[in-house]
Amino acid sequence: MLDKNAIGRASPPTLNEVEKGAIRRFAEAIGDYNPIYYDEEYARASGYPTIIAPPTFPASFHSAADLRELLGVGIKSLLHAEQGFDYERPIFAGDRIYVSTRVSDVFERPGMSGKMDIAVIEDEGRDEEGNLVFRARRTLVVRAAKETP
Amino acid sequence: MPARKLYFEAIRVGDELPALAKAPVDRVQLSRYAGASGDFNPVHVDELYAKSVGMPSVYAPGMLVMGMLGQLISDWARGGQMRRYNVRFIKMVWPGDTVVCKGRVSDRHGSGGRYFVEIDLWAENQKGELLMKGSSQIQLFYSLEDENRQRSGQSPIVVEVPRESLSNVNAAAPASATSAAPSEGSDEADERREGVTSKKTVPREKPAAKTATLPSAKKAKK
Repeated sequence: MLDKNAIGRASPPTLNEVEKGAIRRFAEAIGDYNPIYYDEEYARASGYPTIIAPPTFPASFHSAADLRELLGVGIKSLLHAEQGFDYERPIFAGDRIYVSTRVSDVFERPGMSGKMDIAVIEDEGRDEEGNLVFRARRTLVVRAAKETP
Repeated sequence: MPARKLYFEAIRVGDELPALAKAPVDRVQLSRYAGASGDFNPVHVDELYAKSVGMPSVYAPGMLVMGMLGQLISDWARGGQMRRYNVRFIKMVWPGDTVVCKGRVSDRHGSGGRYFVEIDLWAENQKGELLMKGSSQIQLFYSLEDENRQRSGQSPIVVEVPRESLSNVNAAAPASATSAAPSEGSDEADERREGVTSKKTVPREKPAAKTATLPSAKKAKK
């Protein structure tokens, strides 16, 4: 059973600069060659100020979060069960986004082999003016490391 | 030149997104994704490590497959803005697997000049096994005219479009639902609930056949 006191624990915001090259490499890794991720002119003709990032790009952002610290346990394994994003606007090349991570919930869920510990971790990205850009939620099945005597 | 854009007026509940079959996943792609995402979890890139923890081989991170399903949405909803995107990971993707991404419009609604479509999404492997299931909400311009108005600083076209549910459409025209989206317990229950409540919202745009010419904004009920 994970410690309920972990709920609300958060990491300080970390700056992520959105680089064009990083967007391209991310889109290439997915095998997505939509020119909106590569071609400035195409992006502008599509009504954007510059190229945009693919929807799952926030997965590449860094945050200062250490899940062991946030959850207060040693971690043997993590299983990514669900993922969600809410977007206030597209992410553009050149954006400077501050990402912070917080534990939004911990609970138990019945699983195939007994109860599973679930942690819901929420990342929040804000621009330099403090406006929300996106929220990301990860639902993780956490297997805590057994304490060594 | 940008590709043709998708507008709200052209979309009907039940419309299927053109399926997207991705190239088979290989270990090079897993390395590329690790580098691009910064997720160097060895179960995705280190074969010896993956085997040491009881896996037959390395496997794809769920986020890579979510990215592929995201491509399905972005390819279809050109000119639209993704507002929400959620998935549940169901089955692992191994090197050699082909991910096939599919989706269907489950709802559409608009109010105050803002228009949204809801999409049910899922990904299957080459054996037809369900890998991932999800949903997304996309905001669109009502029409080209609406986009031109808003881009020139004018007010948007306002058409009130109450939520419409997939179950209603199926009840009205069961033949149009050719391939059912896979659904499981709780989600199905949610859809049913929505179906029940939305049956009370009678006034709505006239449902149109998938390929029919689209009604103009003027014809739509205020």
